[in-house]
Amino acid sequence: MGIKVKVIERKGKTFLEQLYLVEVVKGMIVTLGHFFRNFLDNSKLYVRHYPEVQPEITARWRGRHRLTRHDDGTVKCVACFMCQTNCPSNCIMIEAGERHDGKSEKMPVRFDIDLLECIYCGYCVEACPMDAIRMDSGIFSVTSDNREAMVIGLEQLLETPGAFDEEQYQKGGE
Amino acid sequence: MSALDILLVLLRVAFGALVPLSSVAILVWMERRGAGFFQDRAGPNRCNVMGFRAAGLIQNIADGIKLVFKEDVIPGHIRHKFYFVLAPVLVFVTAILCFAVIPFADILVIGDSKYIMQAIPMDLGILWFLAIVGFGVYGIILAGWSSHNKYGVLGGLRAAAQVISYEIPMGLALVSLLAVYGTVNLTEMAQFQGQLLFGFIPMWGVFLQPLGVIIFIVAAFAETNRTPFDLAEGESEIVAGFHVEYSSMKFALFFLGEYVAMFVSSALIVTLYFGSYQIPWLSTETLVAYARPVVIALMLGLPVFAYLFMAWMKKNNRSHYHRPNDPRVRETKVYVTLLWSLVILLEVIFLGYLAFAHGTAADRIIVALLQIATFLTKTLLMCFVYVWVRWTLPRFRYDQLQKIGWEKLLPLALLNIFITSAVVVSFG
Repeated sequence: MGIKVKVIERKGKTFLEQLYLVEVVKGMIVTLGHFFRNFLDNSKLYVRHYPEVQPEITARWRGRHRLTRHDDGTVKCVACFMCQTNCPSNCIMIEAGERHDGKSEKMPVRFDIDLLECIYCGYCVEACPMDAIRMDSGIFSVTSDNREAMVIGLEQLLETPGAFDEEQYQKGGE
Repeated sequence: MSALDILLVLLRVAFGALVPLSSVAILVWMERRGAGFFQDRAGPNRCNVMGFRAAGLIQNIADGIKLVFKEDVIPGHIRHKFYFVLAPVLVFVTAILCFAVIPFADILVIGDSKYIMQAIPMDLGILWFLAIVGFGVYGIILAGWSSHNKYGVLGGLRAAAQVISYEIPMGLALVSLLAVYGTVNLTEMAQFQGQLLFGFIPMWGVFLQPLGVIIFIVAAFAETNRTPFDLAEGESEIVAGFHVEYSSMKFALFFLGEYVAMFVSSALIVTLYFGSYQIPWLSTETLVAYARPVVIALMLGLPVFAYLFMAWMKKNNRSHYHRPNDPRVRETKVYVTLLWSLVILLEVIFLGYLAFAHGTAADRIIVALLQIATFLTKTLLMCFVYVWVRWTLPRFRYDQLQKIGWEKLLPLALLNIFITSAVVVSFG
């Protein structure tokens, strides 16, 4: 026996199928069934009532970015430019400055992410040697009515809390 | 002319003009909510005025306002602006005019005078329809040509070729129908369908012409440019076809025209094949003779129907997620109150009729109203079939469309004529 060959039966050649009308009626009965099921009880619709009912986000979901801190409150980021180098859409702009808290030599003084450019690939998170940038904020709806507001800076990134606890995040969701 | 004559002329013209127009609101709503339910989703149901959403009908008002206030663009490259503006008008006017000859109730006899219940009482009947509906496609061709746009021209050409090839089977299906009815007058056709075949089957066109009805319905779908024959629009290959350059109210006129055409062709299918305004087994004379029991049956049936409707509303018009003080429940309460007040009002009217007006001309008026309701119900059901087909069947390829028209429907229609004429000649 060589490679398994599965012959798929060609449909649509019999007289009744060529007549088309019978198949039309069959299809219409199927859709009518759906119509009446939903019409008589609209709780059976396969929809989420979105703004009121939010979807459940798992810990591995790549949402809007945030910058993390050490336990003592200092910024984890050391401005190594790994994320900026890795970014395929060039949406990260880091400006490094001198650091005086003794954690390392550099820290970012500017850390802008252009959310209009970002493709949410998560390469920045993978590239980060300090686990400083994460996409676990759980924010999936990023909207604004002007372009300027779509560029978020260091302050905003640091303020954003993570949506999941550490254990869940490390496990990467269920 | 007496005052009654003038009043009835006004009423009939108003019916002929306003019913197709207001049906557009119902049809758009039916299409969008229906599409939702066919595809297991909800459709537009969020628009509201003070929390009242009228099952999504408010969405139509929002859409209408949007279309009215949109910028009306006539692109700079268009040379024949007059034809460009004329095209949507043509589509819309022809669609409305078609409805003028369709009878919506039996001839109303008040005293000595008879009133034919059509907007334009004339004998042309089906010929008028054929003439006008064929003219409607000029609007589409004109729109495609005057848009001066590849897609527009392609859409217009497709529409022209399609309407020509489907008008033939449609006309031939009508020929055999005319042989059966022996008249072109739609009111007479409707009266013919009030008889009984073998004493128990209503003599509807669908029972006399089972093949003809299929040919006619398929051709009518093609005539109105609806799925599965909406190649003139074909948004996947030619963007929007003939109306690609149109915006704002000019687009809205095309849109209205399409839905009015759908309503009118449903009305025509009902008139020709599904017994028009006739209630099966109850002819006009029977209804007039037994007006009192009919009204009593209506009085008994109305609360039952209202109760079922209320139960359905209470079950479905609530939020399907946790929501404190659910506003939709409050909305339902208002609707239920309105529903029962309407029922009480109708019951009072019926009671007044039974007590005071029974046995007079009111008998005939009540029967006419009943027939109008029957006609509208049948027509809306046929419109539902249009929606149902649209959300079930995929679009045909262009060569398939022409093949069905010329190679399948045309021979079938000819065969139908032979069979029908043989039967008509041999059985008289």
